[in-house]
Amino acid sequence: MAEDNLCKTGIEELDLQVSGGIPTGSTVLMVGSSGSGKTTLCMQFLINGAKLGERGVFFTITEPLFKLTKNMEGFKFYDKKLIESGMVNLIDLRIISERLGLNTEKYSIEDAAALLDVLRDIADELNVKRLAIDSITALCYRLQTKEMIRDFIFKLGSSLAAMKCTTFLTSEVPPRTFQYSQYGIEEFIADGIIFLGDIERKGDLIRTFQIIKMRGIPHSRTKFAMSISSKDGVELAPLLKSKA
Amino acid sequence: MVTLIDSLKERISNAVTVNQSVGILLPGNNYTEFIQALLEFIRVRPQDAWVYVSVTKPYENIAKQFGDLSNYKNLKFIDCISRASGISKTYPNCTFIESPTMLEKLGLEITNTFKEVDENVSKYLVIDSLSTLIIYNDLDIVTEFFYQLANKTRARNIHSMSLVIEEEDTNKYLNKLIYLNDKILKVRDSFI
Repeated sequence: MAEDNLCKTGIEELDLQVSGGIPTGSTVLMVGSSGSGKTTLCMQFLINGAKLGERGVFFTITEPLFKLTKNMEGFKFYDKKLIESGMVNLIDLRIISERLGLNTEKYSIEDAAALLDVLRDIADELNVKRLAIDSITALCYRLQTKEMIRDFIFKLGSSLAAMKCTTFLTSEVPPRTFQYSQYGIEEFIADGIIFLGDIERKGDLIRTFQIIKMRGIPHSRTKFAMSISSKDGVELAPLLKSKA
Repeated sequence: MVTLIDSLKERISNAVTVNQSVGILLPGNNYTEFIQALLEFIRVRPQDAWVYVSVTKPYENIAKQFGDLSNYKNLKFIDCISRASGISKTYPNCTFIESPTMLEKLGLEITNTFKEVDENVSKYLVIDSLSTLIIYNDLDIVTEFFYQLANKTRARNIHSMSLVIEEEDTNKYLNKLIYLNDKILKVRDSFI
């Protein structure tokens, strides 16, 4: 695939594993339990994009913005100026819901559609190239029935495909389970799935990273050890195979 | 009069500058002399870049025993043991790994530290020690780590020095593992 059609995450080893970058316009499901590094990976993806001149939006529904920025300030990759200049926009979907007069805890199908419209309008208006929604699970949790969730997910999939920006959707799963989503539907709108897990070695938890699928590009399916440090953010190293 | 330290410095010099990887079989009672000789050798080679991975002793203890290590501009430490021992102090020339079981993280830190060094500078890595690593990890995983590290250092033209502290019950397999190196240096009192 031509370089122009690839979206470089800026995470060196990740880009190497997907032949240089994620196909532009893809929707990637970032699956993991609490503490697996989903939010940090999404933020690093957006910040690195902004450094390349690609505007990004981070929609959160799980964490207040002040907490999110406070957590990110410790990372060397984080650049406050990119937030202040609008190259990376942080938007709390609960505040948007309030402004739209929606019940922030329970969405009807109309509420969800209204929220999707706003999301699309923001992305269009800002000419966004990279998007992160943290998390799809928390969004779906506010919908009342499986049918509503299914309908919402497919509409979201169509909207994201139309927007042509590369999107990371985070999906929360219980720890130590190998499933991609809470509702079993989220993975069907995804072009790519990245699974963040952990393994226990002598009582210590080692974060792991594995690309399950990435449509349209040859990619590795090797399991990596994932390190998150304030200096280097997310880094990957091949996981040692020997059992502890 | 030639001392053990002088003799060790000379042997370190002969071994590490010529060979890509050197395994050091070191009796426990010569550990202190060897580290002293190594640090003195590093100090007189400011043109080289050294990374010292410490699993045996916390950085703080090494610094207390061998003097102010922050003066060594050509030496960076990666300490795998302080955090696991509940020591939380930080030092500018030392990176701390949470636990000696986090071998992938250790590999990343070694790579990252050498990345900051100019390409034309000769690079040296010290692993102190493989025998301590197997206290915290299973032998299989240390072997895999060591193979991976040996391949990586060779590919990047980094000289390596891996220590095995010999005790009466030194694991025979570990003795074999160290023979993966290009050269083995057996430290003996008879060096003097």
